[in-house]
Amino acid sequence: MLVHLQGPWTPLFGRLTLSQVPYDNPVIIGAFLFAALAALVLVGSVTYTGNWRYLWREWLTTVDHKKIGVMYIIIGLVMLFRGFIDAVLIRTQQVMAVGPESAGHLGAVHGFMPPYHFDQVYSAHGAIMLLFAVTPVLVGLMNIIVPLQIGARDMAYPYLNAVGLWLTAVGAGLVMLSLFLGDFSHAGWVGLTPLTELPYSPGVGVDYWIWSIQISSIGTTLGAINLIATIVKMRAPGMTWMRLPVFTWTTMATNIIALTAFPVLGATLALLSLDRYLGTHFFTAGMGGNLMLYTDLFWVWGHPEVYFLVLPAFGILSEIIPTFSEKPLFGYTAMVLASLVIAGASWTVWLHHFFTMGAGPLVNTYFSIATMLVGIPTGVKMFNWAFTMYRARIRFDTPMLWAIGALFLLLIGGLTGMMLAVPAIDFQVHNSVFVIAHFHSMVLLIAFAIMGAVSYWFPKVFGFRLDERLGRRVFWYWVAGSIMVFIPMYTLGFMGMTRRLDYVAHPSWMPLIIAEEVGIGLYWIALYYQAKQFYVSIRDRRRYRVNVDPWRTTRSLEWMTHSPVPFYNFAVTPVIHARDEWAWRKEQGFTSLRPERYQDIHMPKNTAVPVIIGALSFILGFGMVWRIWWLALFGLGGIVVTLILRSCNQDTDYVIPAADVERMERRGSFVSVVPGTTRSPGDGAAPEGPFHPTGQET
Amino acid sequence: MMNPGHLDTSSPELHQTPSPTCSSRRYGKPVSALILMALGAVLTGCSTHSLTLLHPRGPIAATELHMMAIDVGIMLGIVIPTALLVIGFLWRYRASTGKGRYDPKWSHSVAVEVVVWSIPLMVVGALSYYSYKGTLQVNPYHPLVLAHQDHDPLEVDVITTDWQWVFVYPKQHIASVNELVIPAHTAVQFHLTSATVTNSFFIPKLVGQIYVMPGMPTEQTMLVSDPGTYRGFSAALSGPGFSWMQFSTRAVSKKEFLQWTTQMQGVPRHLTYTAFNTLARPTINLHHTPLYYSHVQAGLFDHVMKEVRMGKVFVTPMAMTVHM
Repeated sequence: MLVHLQGPWTPLFGRLTLSQVPYDNPVIIGAFLFAALAALVLVGSVTYTGNWRYLWREWLTTVDHKKIGVMYIIIGLVMLFRGFIDAVLIRTQQVMAVGPESAGHLGAVHGFMPPYHFDQVYSAHGAIMLLFAVTPVLVGLMNIIVPLQIGARDMAYPYLNAVGLWLTAVGAGLVMLSLFLGDFSHAGWVGLTPLTELPYSPGVGVDYWIWSIQISSIGTTLGAINLIATIVKMRAPGMTWMRLPVFTWTTMATNIIALTAFPVLGATLALLSLDRYLGTHFFTAGMGGNLMLYTDLFWVWGHPEVYFLVLPAFGILSEIIPTFSEKPLFGYTAMVLASLVIAGASWTVWLHHFFTMGAGPLVNTYFSIATMLVGIPTGVKMFNWAFTMYRARIRFDTPMLWAIGALFLLLIGGLTGMMLAVPAIDFQVHNSVFVIAHFHSMVLLIAFAIMGAVSYWFPKVFGFRLDERLGRRVFWYWVAGSIMVFIPMYTLGFMGMTRRLDYVAHPSWMPLIIAEEVGIGLYWIALYYQAKQFYVSIRDRRRYRVNVDPWRTTRSLEWMTHSPVPFYNFAVTPVIHARDEWAWRKEQGFTSLRPERYQDIHMPKNTAVPVIIGALSFILGFGMVWRIWWLALFGLGGIVVTLILRSCNQDTDYVIPAADVERMERRGSFVSVVPGTTRSPGDGAAPEGPFHPTGQET
Repeated sequence: MMNPGHLDTSSPELHQTPSPTCSSRRYGKPVSALILMALGAVLTGCSTHSLTLLHPRGPIAATELHMMAIDVGIMLGIVIPTALLVIGFLWRYRASTGKGRYDPKWSHSVAVEVVVWSIPLMVVGALSYYSYKGTLQVNPYHPLVLAHQDHDPLEVDVITTDWQWVFVYPKQHIASVNELVIPAHTAVQFHLTSATVTNSFFIPKLVGQIYVMPGMPTEQTMLVSDPGTYRGFSAALSGPGFSWMQFSTRAVSKKEFLQWTTQMQGVPRHLTYTAFNTLARPTINLHHTPLYYSHVQAGLFDHVMKEVRMGKVFVTPMAMTVHM
């Protein structure tokens, strides 16, 4: 042991003891019972319906970009629920702990959560919402939509895609485990140094935070490589750069950010791990360490990360608004340019997260102006969406409602963002709940775009649409909840309320804090209608069944195939003639999906390797968190061996004969695994390198 | 416990109740009603009395508020018209009963592009100028708004521990914990450092924030224009005791301040580095307890900083995390 650990450590179990199970905390026990019940219902129903084999073969081992995307989104939505519960706990604690007279329960002086527990809840809320809820949903959407929008059969690296998914799942799994075994980081989602150093965070919480983010961020980086390669190399013939749908463009921009930013996070967390595991002094206050270096490095990743999240949301708006305006997007070139400018500018603004750290006035001014410059392309986007609706024929289907909501959130977030960009103002509101309300406006914008995207593309992916009436209800309650939570929060910021308060000293803030709690109630109602919408729509799916083009006025390529999309996407690879190809074809009357001649389709084979790598990464992460060195070594060694074995496997793809494609297309039923009929392409020699679609068939 | 000077820790701003005079009209739709309720909530205490940031009591905070007014003013000039534009388009071009002409091909216009790029450009240009100006005016190391003070500022060394505030008056050789007493109408210069983790020094009505970091100094300068008691606290999470890490700032007349220092110099408790180490053990300041010291060891601030740089830490005991 190179560092001094408080508490026991044994070679066999590391820091793990039975007392790490928080069985004495009713809040956690309640959460555990709920999670256990949900898991039981899930496992039970799969067993009862005898679907384990199906689940394994069709989902867990799949390399199909659409199924991987769906699983990403499911992980994201489950974690969104968890993050929401954290938010409920935060708001409830604050409403119970106002003023010196407020009572304390369950060992707390005020409210029902002692500070150390409360700190974990909001740290988990932040980390989960950004990294394990919004990020997976967006990555999932990019996974599903981008190959379809560019006319590809799958991603460039289907196997790598699945590895990315399972690494993300492992990260989410570690966060969930920290709830029931040990604790989570108490130092904010940003991991403030030197608070995260061993003397000030003696438990395993920070280690859980480090390893869950570290592992899932590797997954995100792999996904970024994959998406960039896919967009660069796999576009259908005729899909020139300036014909690329805007969502694909924003995906490109956002993944350039991810590919360049996430390694910074990885390195930063690695240095912090060295501090905590080997006793180095990268970010400590003493012995030559520099805690400000951590703050810089974290936000060098952290700010680009924010744009990594917002750019796909902008892309979604750029798809939804033209569809429901029955018009092409206004100023396509400007939109593309603006996305790339935002991506580039994301690297130049990070210091605005800590104007108060004591940098000189000129440094602060530089970062202030750089931050405001981001407002220019963003403003242009706002105007272009507005002018897309000029001389339009606007319909207010659920996706459009979410998009319009997002536009107004952008206005509010933009206004307050421009305030925070000025150091003289930031000195007053830094770290206050005003900042919280600001970035929640922006993250809600992303969430609105996500909700819009889910309802917009759901019929394409599953072949039936979600109930419109319930969808509208979800929207309106969500809007009402957001207003009730965040307008009081902005106001409390002006009253001087700091973020992360376990105890609120001022009884005069009570009415606004109660208003926030009411807002949480409205979110609950939205959640109820959301669950009901999924339930009703799935139950009555025959009634909600849709054809190729459920919204009638769609424009881009993903709508030019069956709903649900066959596992090979397009019967033949389409040739692109226009920027909005599907709209162009509808205008020209070329809407038939039946080609003149069917061709063989080259497809990747399913593989269990990504799941195995995921399981081993989980073991590695668990071993490192609890400092069970033999277990961590086993996980790491296992991953290396698996990778070597996999790289020797030449049998990774197969060909669907043209006759089979024709049969499936005529019958309209698509079975992804065709045992017995599979054969290797050519004479059995597997091609090297990334997977390519066969030929340029027209 | 010594209690020099009349201690009035109950600041007036802690006990304001919101005035219930907000008016509200009746709306049919529940959502509109909710929006209205939210607006009502915003205006809780329509008098804005409780909106601390709108009532600065010193030139630094006043300048910061002034900057905020300029920024919000300029931004509203663009945000409100844009919102109206969007609402107008949504209304005029709605598919159901909209009156607007439908032009399915219109998706490009050089004139509009020029306008939509130049409006944000001009706004950002204007805001950048004010940002530059404001940053220099409230620069914590040398605020231009306080550049013309003819007398020497009062020096106060601020040391944060887990989770208390130690205010050392090096020239007066006294120290007070969790309470800051300063003369009004006099510039005060703070040197700040932390014995443990990062905090943020913040007195909303008087001065904006500056981080308080271990092993290094930061500075802040301010001036109080009205005597009174003001709320100060740490605005950066520093661990379990963070929510209680508050101090009251008592701005008194120069005469009262002199009396207070004289009184303080007779306090029996002395602050050596050893005593500081005892004081700095992790303590949650649940009851806002002030402490007073005289005969403060010369150079205590620098000594604390030096020890931290040499690796001194005040370990958070595991018990504080397990049972909290």
